[in-house]
Amino acid sequence: MRFIGKTNIKFIEKRKIWYFVSLTVILVGLLSLFLRGIPLGIDFLGGTEVIVRFEKPVAIGDVRSAIAQIGLAKSEIKTYGTHNEILIRTSEQAEGTKMGEMILSALQSKFPDNKITILNEEKVGPRIGAELRRKAFYTVLFSLIAMLIYIGLRFKPIYGLGAVIALFHDVLVTLGFCSIFSAVPYFNIEMNQSLLAAFLTLVGLSVNDTVVVFDRIRENLKLHKALDFISIVNKSINETLSRTIITSGTVIVVLLILLFVGSEVTRGFAFALTIGMITGTYSSIYIASAIVVDFTLSRQRKAEKEKLLKKQPVSAK
Amino acid sequence: MKKNRWKIVLILISIAGALWYLYPTYKDINYQKKLSQLRGEDSLRFVQEHLDDIQKVRQKRIKLGLDLQGGMYVSLEVDIVKMLDNLAKNKDETFRQILSEVRKEALTSQEPVTSILLRKFQEKGIRLSRYYGDIRQSDSEIIAELEKQAEEAIDRALEVIRNRVDKYGVAEPSIQKQGNNRIVVELPGVKNREEVRQLLQSTAVLEFKLLKPADIAIKVMQSIDNYLAGKGAVDTVDTAKVAKTRDTTKTISAELGADTSAGLSEFEKFKKEHPFFAYVRVDERTGIGFVMARDKKMVDFILSRPDVKNLIPPDFEFVWSAKPFTAQDGNQYYNLLAVKKEPEITGKVITEARATIDPDNNSPIVIMRMNSEGAREWARITGANINKHIAIILDGTAYSWPVVRTKIVGGSSQIEGLDSPEEAKLLEVVLKAGALPAPLEIIEERNVGPSLGEDSIQKGLKSAYLAFIVIALFMIVYYSTGGIVADLALVLNIAFILAVLAGFNATLTLPGIAGIILTIGVAVDANVLIYERIREELAIGRTLRSAIDEGYSKAFSAIFDSNITTFLTALILYNFGSGPIQGFALTLMIGVIANLFSAVFITKVIYDIVADKYPTVVKFG
Repeated sequence: MRFIGKTNIKFIEKRKIWYFVSLTVILVGLLSLFLRGIPLGIDFLGGTEVIVRFEKPVAIGDVRSAIAQIGLAKSEIKTYGTHNEILIRTSEQAEGTKMGEMILSALQSKFPDNKITILNEEKVGPRIGAELRRKAFYTVLFSLIAMLIYIGLRFKPIYGLGAVIALFHDVLVTLGFCSIFSAVPYFNIEMNQSLLAAFLTLVGLSVNDTVVVFDRIRENLKLHKALDFISIVNKSINETLSRTIITSGTVIVVLLILLFVGSEVTRGFAFALTIGMITGTYSSIYIASAIVVDFTLSRQRKAEKEKLLKKQPVSAK
Repeated sequence: MKKNRWKIVLILISIAGALWYLYPTYKDINYQKKLSQLRGEDSLRFVQEHLDDIQKVRQKRIKLGLDLQGGMYVSLEVDIVKMLDNLAKNKDETFRQILSEVRKEALTSQEPVTSILLRKFQEKGIRLSRYYGDIRQSDSEIIAELEKQAEEAIDRALEVIRNRVDKYGVAEPSIQKQGNNRIVVELPGVKNREEVRQLLQSTAVLEFKLLKPADIAIKVMQSIDNYLAGKGAVDTVDTAKVAKTRDTTKTISAELGADTSAGLSEFEKFKKEHPFFAYVRVDERTGIGFVMARDKKMVDFILSRPDVKNLIPPDFEFVWSAKPFTAQDGNQYYNLLAVKKEPEITGKVITEARATIDPDNNSPIVIMRMNSEGAREWARITGANINKHIAIILDGTAYSWPVVRTKIVGGSSQIEGLDSPEEAKLLEVVLKAGALPAPLEIIEERNVGPSLGEDSIQKGLKSAYLAFIVIALFMIVYYSTGGIVADLALVLNIAFILAVLAGFNATLTLPGIAGIILTIGVAVDANVLIYERIREELAIGRTLRSAIDEGYSKAFSAIFDSNITTFLTALILYNFGSGPIQGFALTLMIGVIANLFSAVFITKVIYDIVADKYPTVVKFG
């Protein structure tokens, strides 16, 4: 069986169009990031978060008014998973850990004949949140630098740069999508440790396709010395297209299963990684390889110009 | 075939190893199934009978994270501001104001609290010695001292928490020191959160309690034994029976060293006649009980029965020793002490405790000093109880029960007869815990209800099965028999991940399950890359054999690079994340290594064999 036979698509020639498409998507994403951002989870925000399960369904408005009565009007309240489960989050720092108990008793007195159980309760101090934000920034930075160095050493520095720009692109696109889709409660997207884990994993996985293409470019450069660089890159992408799609496909399929069948807790993670993998596959063709082409071509042009400049004085003599 | 012999041996060994590491998990799941069907005393008895094995498999099984089994995660920090408040003398309005400023700033600052304090004092031009230490000491000397206090406080808190959690009886608690001033406590399956918070945060109570005289202690134990054996009333202990008990207890030290594999039926008979003494051996001279570590729960259960409680006099209580010791027979024993309920004196009077070495005989000792009020009391207590044992009890657990040699006047006592410097150090920590409580503050708390954990496991397993089936079927459909080989590698890959988790005593978390699911998708990529390459090589007219060899060798570089990049990011993530996220990073890292082994190495060996012997079977779609 074979999905994709021999292809001869001129990927690189159309790179300008795809640069434009990528930039547009990134700009829309950034706009959403600046306007609405990604709601911060309790890991980063600090505060108290309680997930309660009601035996009988309740109206969110009633829950809100019950919570407002104990002075937590600013809390975030939303359904979590099924309709009977509600997540209440407040950035309020009560003394000790009384907040959860307070919320529970407020709810219990509002809904006396409804059995309420606490499914999950988390309290994070403000210092932990600050610590985490700092660490998160460095972690993403480190991983990008690690990729730059590794790919740069295994191939050529230019390739490392192309791969990292593609990764940066993937991270930005995924961030934008996460920001836009955080409006959909089902996906349960918020900036927490597990979303950060998704971004880091994305950095590690999305570079895989890029490596496969680069590997083939290196091989073809040795085999076909007569071909120009653009043709070699095109040939390499076409030759590896089938496996690029299958390898990404298997990962995307399991991620979709995790997204729609797995637990609510890992949904945001699965969403971000799915978007990231799709983007990563696209970017290894249209961004990483294209950037390597542009860099190489501009360098070749520069070299030729210098050659010409060097020749000119000679011919002038 | 020949050149592959060692490779085959290596593969078989690793598969056998994986099964060996996974077996305890399988067994533990079986035990838990059985235990969930038993109740009360039956389940205790079942545990008793299989204790060694249950403990062994539980220790070696794959641990489930709190997010899967439900429970409580608490991160505590020594409240240094409060400690500074406690330590200060001559507190006045200025001090309180400065301290509240310090508290405010410490809430968000990364700066150590002591240096904030110093800065605030310097801004106001007040010397620290006004409230701390000695008038002659400089600010930096005092700060150094306070910092040392804070550091020691965390060790005290750690011991106090460890002791309490042990007593609270949570299965498999995890208590760890994190960094300089943080303690992370993980308590699986805990339901009463308020109780745990109290347990973790309440002030430690150190008491000195007098041991009951041996004859009285033995008499009470005797009456419990008689009662349990159905021999009726308490005070009708006839002398013959006492004599008989003495027979069994007399040679206690000899017996502890002796071979315990005496006739089982004889032991069963003894157990029927003496249900209590079968578990508790008593030293006749001191009245101190010896209980094998595995019997401790059973004895606790007996002593907590209301009818048994009635047999214990009101001014009398049993306390356990804090740590078990290993007797000559190789078994672990706890001591069971009968003490007077009313403490002679509490630890609040202790001003100093220090573990040191006795210069006379080079043995470890602990020196303890008390304030003047305590010293007066202590002189009276020790004077009245010469040659008696006084137990040092922290939160209801006895750490040491030295004998009073002489009347101690002046408040400075020396505790001798300690086995090791570590034991002395522990005693120092314990003595200080009662005097200088370390106020703990909960800075992070996470509770996962058992139902959410159960739900997460179910959904995690469901998506794992589904992902496996979809990917496995796809591989077979797309690559024919090549797919079967890749699927075999996939199964081995998952088995290796789980086995390594069990082997390294690592924890499986919900993100960890997500990591395994992700691995299912990523693992076959290596085979895809190889097979696609083989197809290419076959297309340009190579023979099957050389196409396979070429496919493997040419695809390897890309496979290796992509695995390394994944490994690198997982490693960075592991260093960044906490608990569950580390679990994810760990499964990802193991998955990468297992992947290179199973998807590349093992499948190559399979093809080396099969392609020679049955070339017609080998297909790549």
